[in-house]
Amino acid sequence: MGKCFLIARANLRRGKGQTAAIVALILMGAAMLNLWLMLSMDYKRNFDRCHQELNAGHVTLVLNGRSEELSGFIDDILKTDEQVTDYSIEDALCMVGSFAYNQGEVNTELLILEKEAALNRSVERMEILEEGDVASGVYLPMLYGTDGNLAPGRQVMVTIGGHEMRYDICGFLNSAMAGSHNCVMSAILLTVDCYRELEESGYAPASTLVSVRIRDKDESEAFEAELKNRVSSRYPDIRTVSNSYILVTTSRYISQMICSGIVSAMAFFVTLIALVVIASNVTHYIQENMESLGALKAVGYTGGQIVGALLLQFVGVALLTALAGTGISYMLFPGVNRMMIAQTGIPYKVHFLPGPFVLTLCAVGGTVALAVWLSSRRIYRIEPITALRQGIRTHSFKRNPVPLDTARAPLHLALAMKTTLSGMKQNITVCVTMLAICLVVVFAGLMVENVIVDMEPFIQLIVGETADSCINVNVGSEEEFRRLMEENACVEKAYMYNSVNVTCGEGEGVILLATVSEDFSEVNNQNVCFEGRFPRYENEVAVGAKFAREQGLKIGDEVRMTASGEAVYLICGFTQISNNLGKDCLLTREGYERIGTLENVSYYINVAEGTDIEAFHRETAEKIGSGANAYINVNSVVEGSASVYVSLMAIIVAAVLLLGAAITVFVLYLLVRTLLDARKRDYGIMKALGYTTGQLVLQTAAGFMPTVILSVAAGLCLCSWIINPLTAVFLSGIGIVKCTFTVPAGLIAASGVGLAAFTFGTACLLSLRIRKIVPVNLLAGE
Amino acid sequence: MREVLLKTEGLSKSFSGRGTLQHVLKNIDLELYRGDFTVIMGASGAGKSTLLYALSGMDTPSLGRITFGDRVISELDSDALAVFRRRACGFVFQQVYLIEGMSVMDNILAAGLLVNRDRKALVRRAGELLRAVDIPEEAWKKFPSQLSGGEAQRVGIVRGLINSPQILFADEPTGALNSQTGLDVLDTITSFNRQGQSVVMVTHDMRSARRGNRILYLKDGAVLGECDLGKYVPGDRERHEKLSAFLKEMGW
Repeated sequence: MGKCFLIARANLRRGKGQTAAIVALILMGAAMLNLWLMLSMDYKRNFDRCHQELNAGHVTLVLNGRSEELSGFIDDILKTDEQVTDYSIEDALCMVGSFAYNQGEVNTELLILEKEAALNRSVERMEILEEGDVASGVYLPMLYGTDGNLAPGRQVMVTIGGHEMRYDICGFLNSAMAGSHNCVMSAILLTVDCYRELEESGYAPASTLVSVRIRDKDESEAFEAELKNRVSSRYPDIRTVSNSYILVTTSRYISQMICSGIVSAMAFFVTLIALVVIASNVTHYIQENMESLGALKAVGYTGGQIVGALLLQFVGVALLTALAGTGISYMLFPGVNRMMIAQTGIPYKVHFLPGPFVLTLCAVGGTVALAVWLSSRRIYRIEPITALRQGIRTHSFKRNPVPLDTARAPLHLALAMKTTLSGMKQNITVCVTMLAICLVVVFAGLMVENVIVDMEPFIQLIVGETADSCINVNVGSEEEFRRLMEENACVEKAYMYNSVNVTCGEGEGVILLATVSEDFSEVNNQNVCFEGRFPRYENEVAVGAKFAREQGLKIGDEVRMTASGEAVYLICGFTQISNNLGKDCLLTREGYERIGTLENVSYYINVAEGTDIEAFHRETAEKIGSGANAYINVNSVVEGSASVYVSLMAIIVAAVLLLGAAITVFVLYLLVRTLLDARKRDYGIMKALGYTTGQLVLQTAAGFMPTVILSVAAGLCLCSWIINPLTAVFLSGIGIVKCTFTVPAGLIAASGVGLAAFTFGTACLLSLRIRKIVPVNLLAGE
Repeated sequence: MREVLLKTEGLSKSFSGRGTLQHVLKNIDLELYRGDFTVIMGASGAGKSTLLYALSGMDTPSLGRITFGDRVISELDSDALAVFRRRACGFVFQQVYLIEGMSVMDNILAAGLLVNRDRKALVRRAGELLRAVDIPEEAWKKFPSQLSGGEAQRVGIVRGLINSPQILFADEPTGALNSQTGLDVLDTITSFNRQGQSVVMVTHDMRSARRGNRILYLKDGAVLGECDLGKYVPGDRERHEKLSAFLKEMGW
């Protein structure tokens, strides 16, 4: 061990620069690895901790009705169900509502509770996270406090059932199952006076809130479906809003899933590059130190001891660096946490996590040890006397790439090509690095084009259907509403697009969010149905592709759908809408009316450019009066919800591009340094012959370019081809199975040129060390 | 009147190290003439190689002035010196210093193509020179490590001459060779000198020094004396004795 330590120390002293660059790469790799492990192993588990602390339910059901009979009926069901471990039935108010959020607005089912009652519930308790000095007003979920516009002491205008209510903000709350619009419902707490006032106004119907804890949380969706079925069979006229543990835990962690996926990909690539660089370094070390290795063997060192020294050197450095890398990940985590909270809405306290820490150290140490061992096995075969005589030649005499007497290229280009073709290990390292960077570039281009600059494709993929306005009208007022829309010159198109819950399958089935339209050819987003076609007839249904895969359903299969009645439908297509995490379906109006009755219907409306949506809503409301239930400025709602993802994506794109640039610089530094060390003598000779520093610098940098250009061209083509399927894999958790983002060919090609130019410029700058090579030193034997 | 090719005035070179300043060349005034085979001799540490590097633009003097033709090269920066070296100088080193990863022909063309872009003409000239130094065509594609010491040095000479330099600098060209191979290399250099090639050679070997027509003797960084031997004639005893006497006088 002592001998190994001596050799390792000597090696480290000689290769300080290379060690520093390897340290930088491992530092980045370990930091991202630990960050990814923390995000994937603990961050989502935080929801379970929060859920447990608040004794939250696994199924939440809100019924737009309140009576002793209703409560008694539900009580009887839950009391006798063996799955149920605990439950709570409380009074609440529930209505679709909206308020300003993130330069837009949030429009969701508002579950309105009296503050004290909500804080003291036995199941699904809520907690106050931040509180001001305001005595009377509203408490909003903490998610809505993250954009900085809403704060205790300020006022918020909440539109409830079409009526504007102005409240002072008392503070922010935490709720596991109703803490975000991603949970289907958002809880807001009112102080007792405000609650009474709203209750008496009748703007929000008196409702019954049921929170149920069950033995197996994985069965939450099935239990939700069963409970809803039982309630709707007894009370078919009562509107219900519900969610389950499975839905909430997935939908609240979409950003965590995206971020974790990207960080894991980057961690993988950086670690891979670091390993390739280490392996190349070890090989280079053996080539350059053949005589020294021979001498060591001659004086009695065994191959194992020399390999052991290399292992000690690299694994020691890797472990110490990984330790620092995990430290850096803890420095980055609060920032990442802030980004995540803006989407999850659940507070997370950054703390030390031993599991990811140990796994990071083991992964880094283990892979580095493997890379060093695999690339250093040659040392076992070195014969001391042969090595001392430099008998082991590293140059291949079989070929002389680009002979200058026949080459057509100019001298410096020909010499650069020689360097390229005689350095296969260098080419592999460059190739692997460039492929990884290409993926980053293509991903960044895709996100810039489809999310940051124009979020329409992202919205279409994630939200599904968008229009300018959405108005919910009572069925009784539908005729009048249609006439109004036809007469209004501002209206370009108005079509029915209504969401209701249905249950799919035999027995308990699975609750699907059914989108009902009279004519799907009218809808704006024709990409929703990506395989097969939209339903045209009353016996057809298009189901979510993710759900279909889970259930093994194919186009042409028949499925049973249940609402208040039941019927069998033929699957005519597959859809992807992430609103209900892939548990969706499309039905024609006639199709839905086979199993249920619509009490009210939502219409999506496209208006002429320049139309003031709010004025349009006011004008319609004046004409139709109580015939309409809700008016939604869709663009504003979409902007409010999507801007979180847009900001998150902008930060991620900037971070991965910076990281990509840093990786390129570190890898090039290592390669250039290794090349200059290996060719120091050649450069000295060439300078003596009359080559200028500039010529040699350009030659060296140009030596990387054939591999860089080929790798970048191939990498960009390959990554452009796989980026949509890859993105679909990342988004599969929210129901996306096919991603059709536009790949911005021009932007990506320009980025490719930029990447090649950046690589060339960086290689030139790093090659400036050639300045220090003085021919006279070579002649003097230095 | 002989044409002055290279001229030094007050040439000094000092090296600093460990707090002391070591003066290797001291105030040297010198003229080198076109067509001469100038030999610089002296004991180890006399400053022979330092003088050669300074004269060839491989190193810059600490003080003084070096003029090549009508151009002051001591004032040039490193890139301008590189351009000067490629156009005006050829080099033959003791350790040969061929580039290992390049074939014989590539080593020569790597120097030649810097100055002459006519590849065909250059390949033709390289071939003529290689044949002239007895390197057979089948060796032209070999790598340096596949050549004998003498062959490698002769390739080094061809590389030094490929651009038809105004002056060929040779630093102990036979120092690493055995006796017979060394003679072959000296014959090669001598024959090029006979064709008009100016040569400046550093050596501490009397047998090599005999090839020169002008001998400069350096001691402690200064030119202690010089001797004009006249044109080299193989086996000329009188010439040999003149050199011996000169060297004896210099304290050799």
